Amino acid sequence: MNFNIKYFLFTAFTGICTQAQQDTIPKANRLDEVVITGQFNPQSVKKSVFQVNVITRADIDRQAGNNLADLLNQSLNITVKPSPNGKSGVSMFGLDAEYFKILVDNIPVISDEGLGNNIDLTQMNLDDVQQIEIVEGSMGVEYGANAVSGIINIITKKSSIHKWEITPSIQEESVGGEYNMNDMGRHIQSLKIGHNFNSKFYANAMVTTNDFKGFFNNRKGEKYSENDSLRGYEWRPKNQLTAKSLLSYSLKNHRIFYKFEYFTEDVYNYNVTVTPNDQAATATSFPTANDITYKTKRFFHNLNASGRFADALNYDISLSYQEQKRDAEDNIYDIRRDENIKTERYRYESRKGVYSKGNFSNFLKNETIDFLVGYEVSDISGYASVLATGDNLLRRSENTDNKLGSYDVFAATEINISNKFSLRPGARALFSSMFDTQAAVSLSARYDLGRGYELRAVVGTAPKLPSYDELYTYLKDVNHDVQGNLNLKPEQGKSIFLHLNKTFIAENKMQFRTKFTAFYMDVANRIELVIVNSTPLQLQFNNVDIYRTFGTSITSSMDYDNLTISGGFTFSGVSKVIDATAADANDDYLYGVQLNSNVSYRIPKWKTVFSAFLKYNGPEYQFVTLSDNTIVKGKQNDFTFFDATIRKTFAKDRFEVTAGARNLFNVIAVNTTASGAGTHTAASTNQLLGYGRSYFLKLLYHFNF
Amino acid sequence: MKAKIYFLTLFLIALAFSGCESDKTDLSQPFVVGFANLSHDITRMHGQAEIKMKLSEPATSNGSVIIKVTPTNAQYTVDFETIPSSESGTFEVPFLAGQTEISFTYENKIEQPYVEDDKLKSVRFSIIQINYDSQVSIQGYTSTLVGFGISLGATLEPEIGGPNQGNQVFIDLSTELVTTSVRDKWDLGFYSDGLSRVVINGSLYMAAKQLDATNIDAVTAATVQQYQSQVAVGTFEASNVNYVDAPNGDIGKTAISEISANDNDNKVYLLNLGYSIGTDVPPVGSVAVAGSSRGWKKIRILKSGDNYVLQYADLNSTMHTEVTIPRSPDYNFTFFSFNTQNVVTIEPEKAKWDLNFTVFTNEIVGSGSYGYSDFVLNNLKAGVKVYRVNTSVKSFENFALTDINDANFTADQRIIGAEWRDVFTGTAYTDRYYILKDIDGNYYKIKMMAFVNQGGVRGYPKFQYKLVQ
Repeated sequence: MNFNIKYFLFTAFTGICTQAQQDTIPKANRLDEVVITGQFNPQSVKKSVFQVNVITRADIDRQAGNNLADLLNQSLNITVKPSPNGKSGVSMFGLDAEYFKILVDNIPVISDEGLGNNIDLTQMNLDDVQQIEIVEGSMGVEYGANAVSGIINIITKKSSIHKWEITPSIQEESVGGEYNMNDMGRHIQSLKIGHNFNSKFYANAMVTTNDFKGFFNNRKGEKYSENDSLRGYEWRPKNQLTAKSLLSYSLKNHRIFYKFEYFTEDVYNYNVTVTPNDQAATATSFPTANDITYKTKRFFHNLNASGRFADALNYDISLSYQEQKRDAEDNIYDIRRDENIKTERYRYESRKGVYSKGNFSNFLKNETIDFLVGYEVSDISGYASVLATGDNLLRRSENTDNKLGSYDVFAATEINISNKFSLRPGARALFSSMFDTQAAVSLSARYDLGRGYELRAVVGTAPKLPSYDELYTYLKDVNHDVQGNLNLKPEQGKSIFLHLNKTFIAENKMQFRTKFTAFYMDVANRIELVIVNSTPLQLQFNNVDIYRTFGTSITSSMDYDNLTISGGFTFSGVSKVIDATAADANDDYLYGVQLNSNVSYRIPKWKTVFSAFLKYNGPEYQFVTLSDNTIVKGKQNDFTFFDATIRKTFAKDRFEVTAGARNLFNVIAVNTTASGAGTHTAASTNQLLGYGRSYFLKLLYHFNF
Repeated sequence: MKAKIYFLTLFLIALAFSGCESDKTDLSQPFVVGFANLSHDITRMHGQAEIKMKLSEPATSNGSVIIKVTPTNAQYTVDFETIPSSESGTFEVPFLAGQTEISFTYENKIEQPYVEDDKLKSVRFSIIQINYDSQVSIQGYTSTLVGFGISLGATLEPEIGGPNQGNQVFIDLSTELVTTSVRDKWDLGFYSDGLSRVVINGSLYMAAKQLDATNIDAVTAATVQQYQSQVAVGTFEASNVNYVDAPNGDIGKTAISEISANDNDNKVYLLNLGYSIGTDVPPVGSVAVAGSSRGWKKIRILKSGDNYVLQYADLNSTMHTEVTIPRSPDYNFTFFSFNTQNVVTIEPEKAKWDLNFTVFTNEIVGSGSYGYSDFVLNNLKAGVKVYRVNTSVKSFENFALTDINDANFTADQRIIGAEWRDVFTGTAYTDRYYILKDIDGNYYKIKMMAFVNQGGVRGYPKFQYKLVQ
């Protein structure tokens, strides 16, 4: 286990410093990347039994990514889906953000709709991030419920080589072609301060504001008073402030840190409908609009202690209190006078609670076998007003106030059968105050085939808990009967991944790495709204659906001197049976492709990096049920995101300038017939994806002393 | 440093191409004072009456309106007087900061019984000047006529009762008469004219199914239980339109068949009493029209001479109540209530209403009966008909008598129906208006204006209408 310890120390004391030094002009050396996700202790990507994809700080900087949504658009197998309510969620293997878990420093981050899942990517600021680790597949043993399609683990920066580090930056972006200093574009300001009080005690603090003025796209903003579907914005304006702080105390074999975050966001939902309030007697009008401002606040506290005792025990314990609440402010806006004539504020949705996770390993001083045991417990109170439903036609009869206690224990063992072959079985029991006890199991294996070939197999399961909509929906009137179901069982996700990696190094100048992956995933007992009685028509959420996907992907990267080229290709099939109990259920596989490519070229003499990022999302197909109950194949058209950036440093790397263009192919929305037709709504014909070709400039200065 | 300037320049150039001002509309609007109604009926003005004017917005400072008086065959002090006095032919009505409505007093001196000459008398009041310290305009209802003629038009806000929509409101356009009745005050309506037909209260989503039995006492809950899930509104079964009255208003196609003089032809019906008026406060923009189930009855209707005989009982009762119900020739129907066990008055006389605002059982073709709110019916049974005009053909203001096409009228009471409002945006469609022909042959044009109040709450309809001239 010396290896693990070495890497632990490496990360804690030197690894990050190395990263920090490389911050400006990266020279990729991905074989030495240290990953944390799913590991007993931080260790190299190469050694990991999981296939961990890493987005480094340098990658983030080259894209000038301010939040997760900026970044993930370029990742293979991930699609960022902005929703009409202003949030952007992950869609991975065709499963939405409820099936995907987002963690910060190994612990799930809270949102107003869940713990770890249903995270709005635009609310995840990246300024203090050291690297982002992505693992595909069900990770129930390691990360508990809802880690079905995969996880993202955001690793924050926890040390510095400088006594003082003061880093102000500004970033100006156009939103599509829209930009001015006043009411268009995106304006980001940030200030980070880091300080080493002594060799043991490090602290940092940062504050970022992100003022997104919305995307007009021919709409006319909030002051427009005609009722002709032009009022408001295509993308809602939002204003965010993030403040974070870290205190870290490190000893030789132990470290304790406290991480704090405060986040606040206002999202402005300007109603497209203008109520004219015509008065015939005077032939005048008094245009008003019913607008909503969503006000979100998040508090995040995480106290973590990790280290090792006398060669006998490694521990990593996190204790966290988190809270995110979203209030809605209903306004009646007098357009002509530019003032709200009535304002009513109420709690829309919230989650809060305590969380703790502990990992204990290295019980045996043994190179061959190691055990890890751990616990993960949380006690989360949730609240959702009757209006807070995923579908604006659904309703609950009353506000939902709910408490969910989760008490999980897990264990895994890593067996290094030989230097080449290691095996890692694991299991978790999930006890809960609401649902039957669940189990998750995993088995991972890594085999070094020699000559640069490595083979990994990862099998995992994870349950997915029902959402509030699924549990508590209640819409019953003379024409409708749609009900949630308190007897729902958690869905069961299962995945099998096979990875074959090949690394080729020629004369130390050229590195060539290729990974071939084959995967299969299924989700059983999927919850869907189904007809439970046809006369009278009654619909209820039930565990009926089956979802399967399989596919293969190949990713490849090449480093030669100052040139790095990487690319990936995924071919996958999805079979989704809507209501498996129905006679006409169609479980044909529907196929899709995704492709990405990333090229960067460094010119050391100029201290400049040129980068280009391309992601092609092939057409997506889905069976949709029309109102006459026939099932047809719907299609979402293909689209491509293409970004290009230039990054250059001046004054001994102290001053950094990053400029570039995002979404060069000017994608705004794609045509789709793949979204379902509701009771009242016709199939939507456009899936909003982006806001068109936009430009940015980021200026950053390092005051290091 | 050079490079820095270079980048900044590059960025500024990019901005120059992308920067553009957002579109701003001219939001200024003049201050207006207009009459609340286009005409006033002298026969309803006994002694002193208020003539109201509306301000386009709350006045921010004091001001006044100058009104000109134009009598026709009428004489000041003899036939009428006003306060303030208008003996000189004009008078001034002041308003104060904060006011939104003002009025003056009209004193009618023409006394009953009216003689033929009286009916030629009228007085027109016209706004000729508005004194106010910002931009003003004379527009809208700039004059009003006090006389013996029919209504020239008005803006009305039928009180259907907010989001529970508990009322049925009947409106007579030519007299501006509004009659309001609570929806659940009646259950059955017995047709007065010619046919022997009985309607059920569609505003409560009632439904009726003919049974095979002719002996009402032999029908039990057990024998009808198999039908109960189907005999309802909104079951999404195409065939269930048979359990409700023809939504188009055809009295020959009611859920209950023609009542026969031969008793053996008159079957027992299973009657779903629908839902009580909702009491929930729904989210803004939604309605809660249906409350709890009102239960079931079994009924059988016979004829006795020209009268109806209603037999009714609860499902498990082995006894029934029998009541004789006479026809009411001046009305469309004689209404009966199970609650009061008696005949009740609901609609005004059939010649005295044109429009009915009500919750309604309509159908979605292919999906069967479906409960609607915000519905507007025309009094088809009395012969009132409506057709729709799109503003792209002719504007509301410009539509004149020569534009009338009688061939467009159809025998359907749902022409306005629910097709005047968009529940998703909460607004009345502005691309359409309606032409109504009343039973006296008057044509009115009707423009629906709103179905929510200023806070977006449902159940507050508003419309304006004008006599087509």
